[in-house]
Amino acid sequence: MIGVAPPAYDPAAPTTATTLPVGAAATVRAYVTELFHRHHRAFLLLIGVNTVAVIASMVGPYLLGGLVERVSDRSRELHLGLTAGLFLLALIVQAGFVREVRLRGAMLGERMLADLREDFLVRSVGLPPGVLERAGTGDLLSRITTDIDRLANAMREAVPQLTIGAVWALLLLGGLVVTAPPLAAAVLLAVPVLLAGCRWYFKRAPAGYRSEAAGYATVAATLAETVDAGHTIEAHRLGARRVALSEQRIKEWTAWERYTLWLRSVLFPVVNAAHVIVLGSVLMVGGVFVLHGWIGVGQLTTGALLAQMLVDPVNLILRWYDEVQVAQVSLARLVGVRDIEPDAKDASLAPDGRDVHADRVHFAYREGVDVLRNVSLEVAPGTRLALVGPSGAGKSTLGRLLAGIYAPRDGRITLGGAELSLMPAERVRSHVALVNQEHHVFVGSLRDNILLARAGAADAELWAALGAVDADGWARALDDGLDTEVGSGGLALTPAQAQQIALARLVLADPHTLVLDEATSLLDPRAARHLERSLARVLDGRTVVAIAHRLHTAHDADVIAVVENGRVSELGSHDDLVVADGAYAALWRSWHG
Amino acid sequence: MQIQDLPYSDPGVPDARSGPRFLWWLWRNQLDGQLKSLAWGLLHFVAVSALPFCVGLAVQAVVDRSGTRLVLTGGLLLLCGTGIAVGDTFLHRTAVTNWITAAARVQQLLARKAAQLGSALSRRVAAGEVVAVSTGDVEKIGWFVEAVSRFTAAALTVVVVCAGLAVYQPALGAIVAVGLPVVALAVLPLLPRATRRADAQREKAGRATELASDTVAGLRVLRGIGGEELFLNRYRRASQEVRHAAVRSARMWSLISAIQVLLPGLLLIAVVWHGIHLAHQGRITVGELVTVYSAVMVLNYPLRHFEEIAMAYSFCRPSAKRAARVLSLERPTATEGTREAQVPAGDLYDPGTGLLAPARRLTAVVCGDPDAAGRLAARLGGHTAEGGRSVLLGGVALDELPLDSARTAVLVQDKDPVLLSGTLRQLLDVPASGAVRAADALTAAQCDDVLDALVQGSVDTTDPMDARITERGRSLSGGQRQRLALARSLITDPEVLVLDEPTSAVDSHTEARIADGLRRLRSGRTTVVFTSSPLLLDRADLVALVHDGEVVAVGAHRELIDREPRYRTVVTRESDDEPAAADEGALVGAGQERNEIEESA
Repeated sequence: MIGVAPPAYDPAAPTTATTLPVGAAATVRAYVTELFHRHHRAFLLLIGVNTVAVIASMVGPYLLGGLVERVSDRSRELHLGLTAGLFLLALIVQAGFVREVRLRGAMLGERMLADLREDFLVRSVGLPPGVLERAGTGDLLSRITTDIDRLANAMREAVPQLTIGAVWALLLLGGLVVTAPPLAAAVLLAVPVLLAGCRWYFKRAPAGYRSEAAGYATVAATLAETVDAGHTIEAHRLGARRVALSEQRIKEWTAWERYTLWLRSVLFPVVNAAHVIVLGSVLMVGGVFVLHGWIGVGQLTTGALLAQMLVDPVNLILRWYDEVQVAQVSLARLVGVRDIEPDAKDASLAPDGRDVHADRVHFAYREGVDVLRNVSLEVAPGTRLALVGPSGAGKSTLGRLLAGIYAPRDGRITLGGAELSLMPAERVRSHVALVNQEHHVFVGSLRDNILLARAGAADAELWAALGAVDADGWARALDDGLDTEVGSGGLALTPAQAQQIALARLVLADPHTLVLDEATSLLDPRAARHLERSLARVLDGRTVVAIAHRLHTAHDADVIAVVENGRVSELGSHDDLVVADGAYAALWRSWHG
Repeated sequence: MQIQDLPYSDPGVPDARSGPRFLWWLWRNQLDGQLKSLAWGLLHFVAVSALPFCVGLAVQAVVDRSGTRLVLTGGLLLLCGTGIAVGDTFLHRTAVTNWITAAARVQQLLARKAAQLGSALSRRVAAGEVVAVSTGDVEKIGWFVEAVSRFTAAALTVVVVCAGLAVYQPALGAIVAVGLPVVALAVLPLLPRATRRADAQREKAGRATELASDTVAGLRVLRGIGGEELFLNRYRRASQEVRHAAVRSARMWSLISAIQVLLPGLLLIAVVWHGIHLAHQGRITVGELVTVYSAVMVLNYPLRHFEEIAMAYSFCRPSAKRAARVLSLERPTATEGTREAQVPAGDLYDPGTGLLAPARRLTAVVCGDPDAAGRLAARLGGHTAEGGRSVLLGGVALDELPLDSARTAVLVQDKDPVLLSGTLRQLLDVPASGAVRAADALTAAQCDDVLDALVQGSVDTTDPMDARITERGRSLSGGQRQRLALARSLITDPEVLVLDEPTSAVDSHTEARIADGLRRLRSGRTTVVFTSSPLLLDRADLVALVHDGEVVAVGAHRELIDREPRYRTVVTRESDDEPAAADEGALVGAGQERNEIEESA
């Protein structure tokens, strides 16, 4: 059998659950319509300059046709000077407008692309914190990198080029109709062949190219992983397996290349045949017409030259059409973020006081599986509560509920009498902050990295915040001070410095309640001691809920809650719990020796 | 070489002395493909160039009122059409095959080089270069190597057509022969500037993407504490900068487009002007005039290949240089060793620090400086770059063994073991003794909740072994990652297992259980654990305190607590001035925190 079937393995198939929605067809359509409306002037301008350019390009064949007519008559005056002048004029107009077409096309494409990526980020930063906690940022990250990249080509090139191609082809056909209507009819003989071929091709091509691109990306990703994990690979003697895996990926990728090559092996002859049919039928049908005296030889010449020119716009359309199809999938993923409904919030809700109170709280990630059951807690202003317990017991979830990120399934969590889950996120965070091990240092200046906690703060306040966490020493030693570029690509901060920045943000934001979650992993003991002093100053006077990772934290807390299996199993001060001789006491003995 | 035969069973030894030499090596290694592509290219371009003759013949036939010649021309056209279609399709097939085989060969070479360099790669600037070659440079290298034969075919065709025109109609042919090179070469001076602008645009786009992904990566911080507008505005500025750079680049390309219209157009006018005179004087026929006009129009097509090859080379040159540099990297130390391959057994001894880990025991090492601990752990595996006296296993110097034997005998799990992406089954399928079952290792490392989290995060499986782990295990929390890495090392079951802070991100409850599991599973094997956690130290047979690069005390945990103040300082983390307060807030550890998934199980 001739032909290549699509490979069985599809690298573009999703392997992890998509955590955020993908836009429905209606959302995508609405967005495209909106985009078009926003840029309709630019579209019209592009079509306008394109029309002039194409009409100017048809002047040459038209003039030559006239000349041929007159030369073959051998009787009339040639008007060669005038013709050459017109020819030159048309050429200059064409060149000027071709330049405009290219430029206008790029400007339109770039403007749409910029709109799209900015829209997406605006939507992303407005997502409810609960959605982010639950979905993670991985899916969002892949949308803003991979999908924007894929759309870049479509917006930048494909949309303008398709517009140009369509206008161009239509005008050439129009030119043929004006020159000699029978020749236009002859061109149409090629249409069925072209349509049949394209239908076959475009039914298969977009999926094929998507898989091919994903396959190629996997080849690079596999190598990047081998490089990144050099130590682990050498320690576990995985070198040969990594080479074999890379070769497996190459095999999978090239299988898709082979498939799409086969698709083009069908399309190319069809397109070429269509071009030859166009030229052939114009020459043959036109020739017969001339022989019968129905049209002139000049018309035939013009028609044949125009028919030859049709190659370019048709190729242009075919070249970019599948790009647009591939881009649709990415577009759906980008606009999908618009489908996420913000939680219903009550803007009038404001806390009165600083008491945190959890009342018979139940919480479930999935229906029917409660991870917290009937949890009640009281945290008085200025006290320290430590949550301890094994992994998976629910202490992190409880922390997030107390920070207002999740809403309980049943029961209430209140801050100063107002229900946390109903308050807007912006209001919650002015009172409560969740501090976890994610101490992200943003790409940008040191100033921006702290300023985010309170936009508009003066430099003196930033220095004060840095001073409060013992960070002003090294920060003042930097050559550019607050303007120093940090984050990936800038000055690399040590983990301890990154933590101090996170703490300085807290000082500046000044929430009265802090929820601290699992923070001591991979801690350098000497740096830790230093940081602990900084932290102690930040915590001073605030209400603290600490998800305790190491037991000496618990030791220093006012109240310890032992969370086991979704319930608070023990509650009391360190001394109380040691006396009670339960799970906590056993662990403490083992720890303390 | 056909695409379906890829990958190469042996990609060969590249000539990586310089970029051009590497390109030449790649080209030479696909000579067959290049010749095929040249042949099909000639058929295609010559057939395309023959179309104008058909047009001219047809017009002349009609002028001469000859139906027979018109039909004959139709036949000729059909022949040309077949030539075009066949030539085009097969030129494309051979060209793409050349591109892909070249790209695949380079990717294979890179994979081999990366595996060979191993740990030598990860701490070097070169790591970024290898990835850059794989993601960006390979395409450009493949493009240029492939384009050589296509360009040659196009260039030959232009020469043939010019010569043909000169013979067919000397006066007009001369104009074309003089004009065409000008048309072909006129935009070349503009190309470097255009590509520079395109590079500037790409760089700005890269910066904007970086800002966007950085903002998204830190989005939970932003949503938690504020600053969204600050970062949005910053991104908008970067995004608009990309747009301006792109439009600036488009200005140059649109100028090039205009010149590509103008110059061939001027040539056409010259041809028509002169040709009409000749035709009017009866020195050429009308058909011949149309032929020449049409030929100039069609020749634009092969002429574009002159620009393409110039562009391909300017893009490809830095890429080839970088690829050659990467492919000529070598490990700092020899991997063959001076002894025969063998896996020794017995006590592990480091003459540098005096650390002795008795055979078949669990030894814990406490070291106040985590960097020094990391270096010492790496030393215990032998074959490190820093040199010095080799660690001995059962009296045999590890450095003298082949690298593979040394790694077989001693497995060093560093502070940041990487989880490789794939299914859990693939992750745990490592070269191993076979004595430890995956299920036992997972149980010992307390991975039950990790398995639940994995099943929840996957699309279509309920068997955790089929669940996928993302790159570096990013969808798992730090503690979950550590436990999976530990399970993997336990499965390997080496003669000596060295673990550097294997449970630093795990909570105390779980850590205590892991310590028991580790002890049970490694009984009768030699194990060294670098840690400062009392829960682990308490369960070791022997604890060694390393201070300033030397073992200063050895004994049981409780014994050392009592008699060694330096030990007490490190382990209980009580400093001279004040007892540690609430260290939980010290915001340490990169990576995402996804506890909610494990807890929902």
